[in-house]
Amino acid sequence: MLLIDRLCYNSKLRFVNAGVKLAYAVTTLALCIISHSIVVACFVLAVNGILTLYKGGIPLRHYLHLMTIPLVFLLLSTLAILINISKTPLDAFAIPIGSWYITSSFQGLYQGIQLTLTALAAVSCLYFLSLNTTMTDILNELRKLKCPSLIVELMLLIYRFIFVLLEIASSITTSQNSRLGNRSFKTSCQSFGGLGSALFIRAMKKSSILYDAMEARCYNGTIHVLTENHPAKRSQIIKLILFELLLAALTIWRLL
Amino acid sequence: MNRKQRKLVALAAALAISLGIIPAANAMHIMEGYLPPVYCVVWGVVCLPFLAAGFFSIKKTLTSNRKSLTILAMAGAFIFVISSLKIPSVTGSCSHMTGTGLGAILFGPASVSILGLIVLLFQAILLAHGGLTTIGANCFSMAVAGPFVSFGIYKLCQKLKVNRLAAIFLAASIGDLFTYCVTAFQMALAHPSETGGVAASAVKFLAVFAPTQIPLAILEGILTVLIIIGLENYAKKELKSIGFLKEV
Repeated sequence: MLLIDRLCYNSKLRFVNAGVKLAYAVTTLALCIISHSIVVACFVLAVNGILTLYKGGIPLRHYLHLMTIPLVFLLLSTLAILINISKTPLDAFAIPIGSWYITSSFQGLYQGIQLTLTALAAVSCLYFLSLNTTMTDILNELRKLKCPSLIVELMLLIYRFIFVLLEIASSITTSQNSRLGNRSFKTSCQSFGGLGSALFIRAMKKSSILYDAMEARCYNGTIHVLTENHPAKRSQIIKLILFELLLAALTIWRLL
Repeated sequence: MNRKQRKLVALAAALAISLGIIPAANAMHIMEGYLPPVYCVVWGVVCLPFLAAGFFSIKKTLTSNRKSLTILAMAGAFIFVISSLKIPSVTGSCSHMTGTGLGAILFGPASVSILGLIVLLFQAILLAHGGLTTIGANCFSMAVAGPFVSFGIYKLCQKLKVNRLAAIFLAASIGDLFTYCVTAFQMALAHPSETGGVAASAVKFLAVFAPTQIPLAILEGILTVLIIIGLENYAKKELKSIGFLKEV
């Protein structure tokens, strides 16, 4: 139901040790943002593209579609950064409106491009993580990183409930559509209100049923789950360290 | 068609196309990689006291009533699902509501801060809305500032004996607008304008996102009211169990 979740269960990198993947994604992300340079961003974009598409086997069609999700935000906010309205024209271009100018400088244009590429590269890091690592693996890693068990348990339950509720929501939407519930703007507002409240009622009922089921299975405040263990290969760790060192060197070179 | 009619048709087509270009008007999550590292850290630190308060408040509720764990988890999932559903829109573009206003009204702002953080993490990983490095900033605008304002307005309206549904509408839509203003301010701080500094930049961000965010805030208000009406009709018992309805 959620495209990213479905794709990550089919990824060829799914059974690679989650710690390695998490470390790779987070370090690369951090270096990418710290360096804030076009060279590093292009390099990271290319590497993540190869890893996700070729090694992970995620279809190109889906990957391109996913890359366009943040595009609106990117376009609008880069526009806001690029364009200035002032009384003095800047050097790149200036369109006069009355005594004011819609204007921009070459420095600003360059920064805009830099920011766009950095953001895209950062998104590709996020996608590498989410398209190749299942949420349960990420939660296990969080538990190993000493994240409070209350938070991890809440996350585990929320993750499970999301799919329960999405399924209910989807069948309610189907039945609303079949009764012409989304015919016009007014009816679709009403339908959405009905959907929201029905969903809430179902959620509350389900949660109390689930609690009874947990009690019946000796729940005493902590949820115990068995974890699959996929130990990291030494070659993967070495490759990871080498790559991050290379990226760090590149970052330092660009910053100096 | 004479020339005037042709011009009219062309104008209408241009309008339709320009609206069609906006494919998704999401609640304003700051995208991954859009903030410099300093701001990522600073906003994260700003959130910490609220998260700690939320954490201890949840912990306290849990020791007194263990059953509230599943209710809290359902609340989190509910906020996520509500925010991932397509909401009706006039222009045909697909947009989503934040759902945190509704969450704050139903479950209180303290627990929404922790739930909001978790929901934001899931939104980043499962929906690619927002990101890991910008989670601090997004958490502040969506899980702290918005819900607290929503809750404050709701309580204030209750004190002033404003009509209940009007209060809910105001709380949800103003909370949403406040989230949008805070986000614009966060972006302006990180990317000040060359000519006018932070203030000019904030105005630009507000202006650029206004066409998508203002209708969205009004719609969020209407939908929240509709959901609450449905709940008051069919779910009195459940509403009482989470402490939303006491007087009814």
